[in-house]
Amino acid sequence: MMTEQGRVLSALLQGTFICQVTDEEAWRFLKNREKAQQLEPHLAMLNRTLSSTAEGDVFFASYLTIGETERKMLTQQFQDTASNLVPLVEWLLLVQQANESDMPVTMGNAIRLNELQTTIEDTPAYAEQLEKISRYRMFGSTSVNLDGQLKQVFKRLTEMGYLTRPNPEKQIYLATGKVEHLYEMLRFIDETEALSLSEQADAAITQGSLL
Amino acid sequence: MSQALIQTGTRLLNALGKHSDLIMQVYINGTVDEQKHSPKVLEQLVQLGVLWRPESQSELRLKSAVRTLLEGSLQDERNRTINANIGASLASLKTLAEHYKEALHYNKYNESAAHMSDLTEHVYQLSESLSNSVRVLFGRITNEFGYVSSVDAKIRENELAQGQVTDLLSQLECFRFDELSEIAGSNRELRHLLVVSLQQRFSKAAQELSVVQARLIDLLGRFREFQGRTRLLKGYLLHMEQHPDFAPGNYTNLTQVPVLFNQSNSVISAAAPDVNNVEHENDYQEIVSSLTHIHQRATKQDDAEAQQDIDVTAQSTVSLEKDELQLAIEDFFCEVIDSGQPKTALTYYEEKALGFDQEVWMYQVIGGYQALADQEKQFFALDPHGENDKTFTGNFYINDITLGLR
Repeated sequence: MMTEQGRVLSALLQGTFICQVTDEEAWRFLKNREKAQQLEPHLAMLNRTLSSTAEGDVFFASYLTIGETERKMLTQQFQDTASNLVPLVEWLLLVQQANESDMPVTMGNAIRLNELQTTIEDTPAYAEQLEKISRYRMFGSTSVNLDGQLKQVFKRLTEMGYLTRPNPEKQIYLATGKVEHLYEMLRFIDETEALSLSEQADAAITQGSLL
Repeated sequence: MSQALIQTGTRLLNALGKHSDLIMQVYINGTVDEQKHSPKVLEQLVQLGVLWRPESQSELRLKSAVRTLLEGSLQDERNRTINANIGASLASLKTLAEHYKEALHYNKYNESAAHMSDLTEHVYQLSESLSNSVRVLFGRITNEFGYVSSVDAKIRENELAQGQVTDLLSQLECFRFDELSEIAGSNRELRHLLVVSLQQRFSKAAQELSVVQARLIDLLGRFREFQGRTRLLKGYLLHMEQHPDFAPGNYTNLTQVPVLFNQSNSVISAAAPDVNNVEHENDYQEIVSSLTHIHQRATKQDDAEAQQDIDVTAQSTVSLEKDELQLAIEDFFCEVIDSGQPKTALTYYEEKALGFDQEVWMYQVIGGYQALADQEKQFFALDPHGENDKTFTGNFYINDITLGLR
């Protein structure tokens, strides 16, 4: 039998993001500062440490010291992330627009696949957008029909940990803390590269450009 | 007087009940479609003060009193009006209290009782309108202004609600309990109404309003964050459109790698079994037994598949490549047809100097004849030459066969 501590530790070492949506018990465990502190020696032994993003609501393991191998690993990871940014952002915007509420996808948001599919089917512009998104390498769909494209996109996103499907019998997906991590990364890139993305978007909206 | 009042009221309520369909339609659509209803009914409703025509050209609308009644009872979230006119209500309360005290002073008990009931009505009305306003605000907060779709609209709704809360709070300041208690004086009933009941309501409303205000500010923050996120996403796409070759700098090469991009990879993989651990013996046994089961089933399936494969290839070779012997037989039959003359099998065999065994050749000629379809068989005649067995009757030795056309 594994203790709660062991379970959380192994989840962290597997490189997963722990948030309230994916694993509430582990999340509560990590939210407790004392208990989280108990994990640190174990993580440190493997050159890892507990990190959090999204204002402390998402936990993951990061490297304690970064040597050659770690740097190589991180570079590889970063390149993957950077190349996946555009497809992910396009997907987030598609879901937001197709959702009647106009709310951005955030942690804990429920996405009902059937409803989304109906909206996309009824709107040719969304269908085109979905086809474009599904053709990206990270989703790699070769399907010609909308149903297959949508399913493939959601399957890949679930595999990558951006979505979770609490009940395997229902087509309802929840956005996980990794989505928050994505926003944080975008914000970081925006600030570091001084892109002033919000201003660009504002300017485009006032100019009446259609996004 | 009161009898007439009751009658008129009953008539009004009856009319409301009788035309409930029409009224609900007006409530939802805003206006009446005058084509669909009889002018008589509409005229009656206008006279009763249920419908009215704001301008001579415009369509009939629901009177605001009826609308407020429906909104209040249905807890309709579209209701955005909040009655913040507490100052006026308080002034009328004070006046009524003075009337009541005066009537008591002159011992006009009938009058004083009437004033008292009026005053009670007003006090309760005021507290009801207060609690109603708070409830309306809460209702809008709990569904996060769900009746408007875009985030911008939600922010505007939120600002409206905040303005209303501020209004209500400033109106609440109109309550002067020292004045009210002075008016109530030593009269027990007045004191109960004006001081105790109103004060309870007042403190409750003030408390709830502060909660509402905090929640509204909270929500506004969330909406602004949503707006920020949407802008971030759209801005990024826009930027990528304008600068397609943009790539973020490699932050992992910095001396201090930002935590966001410092995500360790997976180090845990499945453990190996320790066969020397006696405690696990049972578990291992179970695992292994289930494994062999799967293993056996799997190999069986493999065998079946392999055999099928062989069958398919064998069949195709048989049908594609004809045996030499068979080809020779076909040639023999063709020659008989071409020449039109009967010919023995052995003559043909010698003519062509075939390499097969003679006996096999003869058998194949018979076989070739038998293999023909009935229709084709009719064209040929097969005549065996040979002799009977010397000892055993019924045994016929064939030396040669003549094949001819019928």
